[in-house]
Amino acid sequence: MKSNALYDIWKVFGAEVRRVFSDRMVMLVFFVATVIYPIAFCAIYNTEYMHNSPMAVVDESRCEASERFIHNLDALPEVSVEYKCSNMAEAEQLMRDRKVHSIVYFPRDYGTRLADLQTARICIFCDMSSFYYYKNAVTGSSNLLINEMQSIEVQRYEQVGLDDQQANEMVQPVVYDDIKLYNPSGGFASFFVPALLIIVLHQTLFFGICIMCGGANENKKELFRIPSYLRHSVHRVIFGRALCFVLLYIPISGFVLWIVPWFFHLPQLGTVYDLVMFLLPFVLAVTFFGMSFGTLFSREKMSTVLCCIFFSAILFFLSGMVWPQSNMPKLWLWFSYLFPSTPGIQGYVRISSMGAHLKEVQFEYLALWIQTACYFVTTCVITYWKNFKRGRQSRLLHRLHSQYQMRVAKSHIVDTQ
Amino acid sequence: MVGVKRVIKREINRILHKPRYLIFLTLACIFSFVFFATLTDEGQPENLPVAVVDMDGSYLTRRLCHEINATQGVKVVAVYNNHTEARKAMQRGEIFAFYEVPKGTYNELLNFRAPHFGLYSNPCYLLAGTLSYKQLATMGMLAAGAVQREVYRKKGYSEDQIMGLIMPVELDTHLIGNPWANYRIYLMTTLIPALFSFMLLLFMSYLIGREWEKGSIHTLMHKSGNNPYKALFGKMLPYTVWFSLLVMIANLIMFGIMKFPFNGSWLLMMLNSVLLIFAVQCAAVFIVGCIPDAQLAMGITAVYGALCFSLSGFSFPIEAMPPVFTGISWLYPIRYYYLNYSNMAIFGNGLEHCWPYFCSLLVFGLVFLAGAWMFGRNYDKAVSQGKVNK
Repeated sequence: MKSNALYDIWKVFGAEVRRVFSDRMVMLVFFVATVIYPIAFCAIYNTEYMHNSPMAVVDESRCEASERFIHNLDALPEVSVEYKCSNMAEAEQLMRDRKVHSIVYFPRDYGTRLADLQTARICIFCDMSSFYYYKNAVTGSSNLLINEMQSIEVQRYEQVGLDDQQANEMVQPVVYDDIKLYNPSGGFASFFVPALLIIVLHQTLFFGICIMCGGANENKKELFRIPSYLRHSVHRVIFGRALCFVLLYIPISGFVLWIVPWFFHLPQLGTVYDLVMFLLPFVLAVTFFGMSFGTLFSREKMSTVLCCIFFSAILFFLSGMVWPQSNMPKLWLWFSYLFPSTPGIQGYVRISSMGAHLKEVQFEYLALWIQTACYFVTTCVITYWKNFKRGRQSRLLHRLHSQYQMRVAKSHIVDTQ
Repeated sequence: MVGVKRVIKREINRILHKPRYLIFLTLACIFSFVFFATLTDEGQPENLPVAVVDMDGSYLTRRLCHEINATQGVKVVAVYNNHTEARKAMQRGEIFAFYEVPKGTYNELLNFRAPHFGLYSNPCYLLAGTLSYKQLATMGMLAAGAVQREVYRKKGYSEDQIMGLIMPVELDTHLIGNPWANYRIYLMTTLIPALFSFMLLLFMSYLIGREWEKGSIHTLMHKSGNNPYKALFGKMLPYTVWFSLLVMIANLIMFGIMKFPFNGSWLLMMLNSVLLIFAVQCAAVFIVGCIPDAQLAMGITAVYGALCFSLSGFSFPIEAMPPVFTGISWLYPIRYYYLNYSNMAIFGNGLEHCWPYFCSLLVFGLVFLAGAWMFGRNYDKAVSQGKVNK
């Protein structure tokens, strides 16, 4: 038989495309999951912040300063003063009933201590069941407190005999310009969703390939995919299959990483060139990773899906978006670089949310190419081993042959009936 | 009862005959527990990398670095000469925040002209960015206080007076249920049961779906005396027991051995774990019961389950999401589990606060009945169409 590399790749590519479009489960993963998940996650987190977290206030001092503080607290976007209680027991009951997530308490001597030029105290109690309740209550009230303190300080300095200008200089001997880069308001979606989008791409492609490998294993047709004259050029088969997935994932990645973020107003600072250049090794690495894993472990179509969410959660936390890479135990850090999702997420977030160029993500970029190369080699080795291992082919052929004979016999019986 | 017993016996035999998947899932549970426990071992990230941009070149910057390094939360990993270098380092993910000391700062400070420092942080990494910002901002406040104190000492005020002048109000923060703001406690208490129960959700869907695919559905129904309720109940019961045990052991390790704060009743917490597992299985039965196509049912289950982390509301509060998701979150047993957990562990609330959520978890029993009824109908239809080979 004529053996021409391009012709072989083309044939395998065609067969693979037909397999993708004839398998309902794979179609579901490639074309439905990649639409549902990004839209669902964006819709869930699109509000970015929590506004007006309910708060109770216990004011035992009942002075002008505390009244002003409460008034300003209520004006904050983070919290809203829903209840004014007369004592702590009442507020505590509200907290137990989950009607408020934080309590601010002014002790009886708050006003008198302020008047005596002493340090007064405000107590704040936070519900720690979600970090957002804590963040809202503490950042809101401490920002307010800084302003409040400055006005009190100016007042006090004037009382001890400094003039207006001197007092102002003393209040702020150093001015801090607080500048938050890239996610200025600390929104949840801008931090969480870009990483999730990459996870969605990674997992759909990975599981799609694994399901296909499982399907091939179930049907035992894998044998006929790789004719024996390709025995010494398995890489052509791998190239052909990979080409199919890469071409499929060009429009899918475009939708997930370009249209969805655009529609939901997520940060998109990266240039198209950087993104495309970065995503190419990412898709390749995931494809080869999926092929290696699927060929080696995937036995059935359905059982492959069993570990999908477990795997996704682990990958997400390995990526270093939530728990920083600098603080990960070394073992997990090395482990995380086995998966294309880690450099993929780190690189994509930096390009699209922080406007980095390829030069700034060169470590991740290189890591992805190394993964591509490594997984390509493992895919070739595993495919070769699975298909052409000594004795394996003849055993499989034998089994298929007997199955075929049984089927013929059965159909013969049916025919005679 | 005889039917249920026979089905249970059949299921246990099937597990013993082919224990591969159950062992795999149990190992996955153990792995995820160990993974999250060791990953977030520090509780709160310490020594986060930050930098200083020194354009002043004075003694002040060195002192600043020194003081930053003295705090537990952050560590100066580099000193840059200009802003661009620091920004690029931030884009490379090497630092999470940096101080910028402009030219002439030291002079201005000595002359009381209130020099401006830039404090840049990167909340794209929400936890690391916010924490390092908080640490640097606190340090900045303290540094300003130190300058003020120096001046007042020279003016001859007493220490008490100085404290009153530079710190007129102090904020006393009490964090209920997690006084150290420990990330591990916050993360693991909900994520681990969510992961376990979600794996079981998919597994149940797979197990029942496989009976359809392999055509063994007939023997299952036959053993139960053609009663879909008994068949499905018997099928899920061994897994209820096994996964309830897993969740309970995980809870025992977290609250007992790892000493996560827990103020409620142990009995109720165990009941909470069992009901979570039960409710999740009911949801799986409902999906598979309504959709006799195994692969499609598996796909729907995966879509339903993948949102369980988000809609439990522990990371981002449900009330902050668009209102429609409040409704959708009621479809998730893990939501009720989380509400029960926070009520019991954090506030020490008892049944008087938790009963609505326990009842909601029990309502999934009705979902099971509906699912089993649909399952029975689909089975009869398949039999009448001759799709089930006896």
